[in-house]
Amino acid sequence: MTDTTMADMNSRIPSGLVDPVGEANATGASINAKGLTKVFGSGENAFHALGPIDLDIKPGEFVSIIGPSGCGKSTTMLLVTGLEPPSAGSVEIDGKPLTAPISEIGIVFQDHLLLDFRTAINNVMLQQEIRGLDRAKFRERADALFARLGLTGAENRYPWQLSGGMRQRVSIARALVHDPSMLLMDEPFGALDAITRTQIRHDLEMLWLETRKTVLFITHSIEEAVGLSDRVLVMSKSPGTIVEEIVIDLPRPRPAHLGEYPEFSKYAERIYRIFEKLGVYKF
Amino acid sequence: MAPAQSGARARLMAAFGGSYLSSVLIGTVAVLLLLGVWEIALRFFEVPIWLAPKPSDFLARLYTDRALIAGHAFWTSLTIVEGFVLGVLVAIPLALAIVSVGALERGLYPVIVFLNIMPKTVIGPILIIWFGIGPLVAALIVFLMSFFPVLVDSMSGFRLVDRRLFYISRSMGASSWQTFWKVRLPAAMPHIFSGMKIGVVKAVEGVIIAEFIASNKGLGFMIVRASAFMDMTLMFSGLVAAAIVALIFNGAMSIIGQWLMPWSRH
Repeated sequence: MTDTTMADMNSRIPSGLVDPVGEANATGASINAKGLTKVFGSGENAFHALGPIDLDIKPGEFVSIIGPSGCGKSTTMLLVTGLEPPSAGSVEIDGKPLTAPISEIGIVFQDHLLLDFRTAINNVMLQQEIRGLDRAKFRERADALFARLGLTGAENRYPWQLSGGMRQRVSIARALVHDPSMLLMDEPFGALDAITRTQIRHDLEMLWLETRKTVLFITHSIEEAVGLSDRVLVMSKSPGTIVEEIVIDLPRPRPAHLGEYPEFSKYAERIYRIFEKLGVYKF
Repeated sequence: MAPAQSGARARLMAAFGGSYLSSVLIGTVAVLLLLGVWEIALRFFEVPIWLAPKPSDFLARLYTDRALIAGHAFWTSLTIVEGFVLGVLVAIPLALAIVSVGALERGLYPVIVFLNIMPKTVIGPILIIWFGIGPLVAALIVFLMSFFPVLVDSMSGFRLVDRRLFYISRSMGASSWQTFWKVRLPAAMPHIFSGMKIGVVKAVEGVIIAEFIASNKGLGFMIVRASAFMDMTLMFSGLVAAAIVALIFNGAMSIIGQWLMPWSRH
């Protein structure tokens, strides 16, 4: 990829995206968590899955959590949205204590989790149906997002008629169409092939650059974490705690081949070393 | 197998196998062949009609008595629809309740399983005392037969919906009502539908027996009455009509399934 100037980037921004629809906030929210802990079950069968961890994510920041399988990464995501209650600790979104699930968020999981019986566009319009918002206005925004994500022409196709990468793009569109203040992604590119993954990583970065949502990105890929984030939080094995915080100071948008930055290898190396020290890797 | 032989076989397969049309063609040819052998054998051995009718006899009877047979076939169909629809309407909400409430799963479900083990036709005489002989009792027996497979598959359908889908619907601020109608029920539909397919098979099987014992209308009743008069030809005509009714119902279910769930073909 050649260098992209700010002007190039602006020329790619379709006007339909800046216009917020509904009650959600166009700008990112801050996430603050203290002593967040999750224990599943009780008594002898209790499983300490996570924590205690503290989080301090600024509005519009792109933060990745990286860690080995089963370390509680995904649980973290569910706790900061209120979708699961914490066993201990507290969460504040934009300074307000979290007591119930919030809906100013968009979620993308590893599997696209689209509904088979709805077309691509109707999967996205589910947001509008459930939120009871204006259909025409919402459709405009969905169309803009589809264009932005390279999905134009796929509107009326069903999930089973789309490729894996396109399904995941539709599920990103579903998570962003209502203009949420937070985007939560749980290994969103984990099931995609390497080429698709690189492209969709770039597309997500460009979307983030123009909308500046707060993104919490769960991954076990060092390349994705370093390639996308402002900050990477490295998590230990279960029960997961945050053992290191790495600020990624690389220019954006970042290239397809991150090796173009010598600093990239240094960041990657650092994460490998931490994993080695934690016993995640045994060579 | 020699290469030449396998080549010839592949050509034969290509000519007759594969397409839907050719499989229908092969089926038709096989049925015609069977009827032909049947006809010739009975003529050759001069079998009396009260012992075994020739295909030409009962197929002609199907035409000459078409008003009578169609009338009974209509009642049989109506009984299937009534019993089956009632079964589905009871099974789906019950499945949801059993899956959602732990106490029901432990308390009610074993009772239902036990009741299902019981032969349904045994309940027939009891139902006759309660409701009198008629299509209603037959419909109730059909209900009992088709209800259980729908219940079991609906339960696994509701249970197998990916938990993360509920996270997504909650992230949209969906009420539990919205989550049920827009996410859970449609997502469970393929399972519910495969239960309904089995339910229809049970219903068309069960309806004839139900009419034998408990009705005064329908193909089952017509066959029993024909038996009383030693009217062998009408009995065979009734058999053919029952097969046609079963074919229509099973075919209709497949078509509805493909129409409702186009993705299930993939």
